[in-house]
Amino acid sequence: MRPLRPLTPQNSPELGATQTVTKILLVEDDEMNRDMLSRRLIKRGYDVIIAVDGQEGVDRARSGDFDIILMDMSLPVMDGWTATRTLKDDEATAGIPVIALTAHAMQGDQEKAMNAGCDDFDTKPVDLKRLLGKIEALTGVAD
Amino acid sequence: MSRASDAEARRRSALLRLSTGIAAAHDEREVCRAAVDGLHDRDLGYDFVGVFLVDPGTGDRVMQASVGWAGTHEGYRIPTGQGLSERPLKDGEVHYTPKVRREAEHVLAAASGSELDLPLTVDDEVIGVIVVEGAEEDAFGREDLEILTAAARQASLAIGRMRLIEQERRSAEEQRALMDTMRDLSGELELEKLLGALLQRAVKLLGVTGGELAIYDEAHEELVIVAGHEMGADAAGTRMGIGEGAMGHVARTREPLVIPDYQAWNGRSAQYTQDTVQSVVAAPLLIGSRLVGVIAAVHSDPGHAFGREDLRLLELFAPHAAVAIHNADLFTAERRRALEQTALLETLADMAGELELSVVLRDLLVRAAELLNVTGGELAIHDEESGELRIAASHNMGADAVGTTMTQGEGAMGRVAQTMAPLIIPDYLEWRGSTEKYRDGSVRTVMAAPLVIGARLVGVLAVVHSDPRRRFGEEDLGLLKLFATQAAIAIENARLFTEARHREQYFEDLVQNNPVAIVTMDLEFDITSCNPAFEELFGWKEEEILGRNLDQLVNTAESLDEASAYTEEAYEGAVIRGLGKRARRDGTLVDVELAGVPVMVDGEQVGIMGLYHDISDLLRAQEQAQAANQAKSSFLANMSHELRTPLNAILGYSEMLMEEAEEDGNETYVPDLRKIESAGRHLLALINDVLDLSKIEAGKTEIYVESFDVREVVDAVTTTLRPLVEKNGNTLVLQCDEDVCEMESDLTKVRQMLLNLLSNANKFTERGTVTLSVSREYGEDGHWLTFRVQDTGIGMTPEQLGKVFEPFQQAEASTTRRFGGTGLGLAITRRFSRMMGGDVGAESEEGAGATFTLRLPARAPLAPPSPTYPAELT
Repeated sequence: MRPLRPLTPQNSPELGATQTVTKILLVEDDEMNRDMLSRRLIKRGYDVIIAVDGQEGVDRARSGDFDIILMDMSLPVMDGWTATRTLKDDEATAGIPVIALTAHAMQGDQEKAMNAGCDDFDTKPVDLKRLLGKIEALTGVAD
Repeated sequence: MSRASDAEARRRSALLRLSTGIAAAHDEREVCRAAVDGLHDRDLGYDFVGVFLVDPGTGDRVMQASVGWAGTHEGYRIPTGQGLSERPLKDGEVHYTPKVRREAEHVLAAASGSELDLPLTVDDEVIGVIVVEGAEEDAFGREDLEILTAAARQASLAIGRMRLIEQERRSAEEQRALMDTMRDLSGELELEKLLGALLQRAVKLLGVTGGELAIYDEAHEELVIVAGHEMGADAAGTRMGIGEGAMGHVARTREPLVIPDYQAWNGRSAQYTQDTVQSVVAAPLLIGSRLVGVIAAVHSDPGHAFGREDLRLLELFAPHAAVAIHNADLFTAERRRALEQTALLETLADMAGELELSVVLRDLLVRAAELLNVTGGELAIHDEESGELRIAASHNMGADAVGTTMTQGEGAMGRVAQTMAPLIIPDYLEWRGSTEKYRDGSVRTVMAAPLVIGARLVGVLAVVHSDPRRRFGEEDLGLLKLFATQAAIAIENARLFTEARHREQYFEDLVQNNPVAIVTMDLEFDITSCNPAFEELFGWKEEEILGRNLDQLVNTAESLDEASAYTEEAYEGAVIRGLGKRARRDGTLVDVELAGVPVMVDGEQVGIMGLYHDISDLLRAQEQAQAANQAKSSFLANMSHELRTPLNAILGYSEMLMEEAEEDGNETYVPDLRKIESAGRHLLALINDVLDLSKIEAGKTEIYVESFDVREVVDAVTTTLRPLVEKNGNTLVLQCDEDVCEMESDLTKVRQMLLNLLSNANKFTERGTVTLSVSREYGEDGHWLTFRVQDTGIGMTPEQLGKVFEPFQQAEASTTRRFGGTGLGLAITRRFSRMMGGDVGAESEEGAGATFTLRLPARAPLAPPSPTYPAELT
């Protein structure tokens, strides 16, 4: 595995205009997806913390100060819908935007995610550009 | 005046009294009594007189009246071979026996001196004898002979008249009986014959020279002469106005008329000259007060003037003639009714069928044989299919004749069948066409007639006589034809009936064998019948449920209200349909599709018919299909998920590597990485399209209608596509009309369709032009947006064009490899466009590019309530 390169405004054009680093909690059980997505986000200047199941995701969300959570839905221990509902039911974490990330692209999957309390929804495979747009829209750091 | 002439005058006066007495008599016995009394008159003074009439059965002389003979009585018989009074019976002469005791054969001993026996003669036949005896021998002289002969003649005439009247009365009654039996057979022809015979008898009875009988035609208020006798030219058919001539006069007054001197009568008709008519008596023919005709008798003898007595006799005939005419009227009316009824036969379900036809035909044949006075007959039915004749009734022609068949042209009946014309064979044995079967002597003369309905042969009727002297004439043929008509109608009726019954049977079978449970109810809501399918479905036997209320029978408390409402609706004439659960006899429920239909007969509702179709199997199949569909959906969802997860890694890492390779300046790997990424993208597109199509086919695709600017969408799509277009060396041209403005539709799907069409056009075009034209049309059915995608690529053959919108039907399998694409884009585009109320079509020529035209309503007709966000990745 290649070492992460230092994050600078020069090699991260998206960060060029931002003052603060956006802190992302990525809840994802698939190791490859977790690795790939975290590396691409970090490369674009985000601070990425990993959780591998729903329960860990909830725990980490409560302990840390996240700007946004990227939540896979099919998760071991506690699934993404339950985890999201738990977070949204908790006053302390209710304010953190959650983007559902799922390979469930069938009709109704989005509705199901939104009903669980997610703020937005995106399907895998992730179109990075589109996802970044959604993150920025929810964290209010666009431009 | 001498004593002699005085005695003579008294005798004449006595004779007149005798005549008057005889004339006043009402029957034969009274005539005899009057003769005896007249002769016993003190001015004539015959003290021993007896009148005998011959009993035609035994030949005995039977005493009718007597005077002076003690020990005898009326009804006293003298058998043949006894007594002096037998002699006039043998020779018709008057016999005088001056000395009785000298004669051996005398039997009566009243006076026993002398005896005169005088014959009573009618039509030259001795019908009786008057016996006058004297106490002394040689008691009678010439004068007595004259007196007694005159008295005998008068009595004879009176009795003759009585007999004629009696005979007339009897034959009139016979005629009436005949009329009655022939009411269903005889026509006007028979009436004329009957009236002719009646008139002839009247003329004879009255001793006149001629007569006429006319029928009153109510419709034209005219008299029509139907019978004439010795009146010169045949008057039959002549019409006379009311008041015209003697008969017209009677018709007007409805009163009898006696014209002693016709030629002096001021109403006389010039038609009747002195030679034919001197005196006329006429009487109206009345039924109640209704005039049906006029009968008239005339005399051409100038010395004969009609009197009241003649009128009285004429009036004897009037009622018979009137009844005959009346009956004929009834017959005509009845026949008309019968014809009408024939047309209505189909409704007469309980009428005679084939079995009874043979009985009807046999009756008919027997009656015909009787009336025609023949020894036998046969009636055959024509089988239209085989062309054969089959004997359906036989009378005195051998036991095994019924059922045998004959071909056309075979024998007398076959000949008639062939020619369709009646046939009379005077000598059957000599006839060339005779068949062996009938050459045993039982058939010597034959008369046969075809049975015809319209121009169609339905059978043949034949009668035969074993006596060659029996000659058939026109009258016989006329009568046979009447029977032929009856038989033809009977056969035709039976055929119609059989047809109707077959039809009925057909529908009955249809109901009985129908897999749908069928039950009928009357207007009282009571079950009147059900079919076996109903019995099987509900577990009830028909006989158990007849008269019961259907709704109570097959409903539970839950379904009763609904079912009753259905029933009420059907009773009000509506056809109702529905789905529901109904209870079997054992209480279990069954899912049924049901229908209620009013049963109409002649436009009037007589009941209701209920139909139940067991749909439990259907529902089960439907559930299974739904479950299978569910399984398919979840399989697709899972597969999609499972494929997307590794794809996510493939695409993500290849993108990442490309970025890094570019950043590192190490671009050697970039083309290969791009291939990995491209292959991954294609796989993703494939997954998406399969998912789309399966959603469409599962009916799970919803249309989310929103308002958007068409130009913006078109710009976005072309921007997305431009790099791809340029990669193929193509030019993308956009022609967008100014007025395209906004549309209300499913934005995502419109975009997807445009991307599909444009990428498709680009795919098959190299170094050419892809043009997207967008325009707005203003049609009567609203505004439409037309998106036309035109390319200059390889085009399609007509065969390829025909399949271009079917899934996985890229023009050729090889093109997929060459040009890429999922092969589902156009199929999805067509389905989407139709869901939105539009359509997409294609035109192309091989090698000359293709044009795809997408037409969508500016306002999509569907507006689903909940917004959906179908997965869409490109």
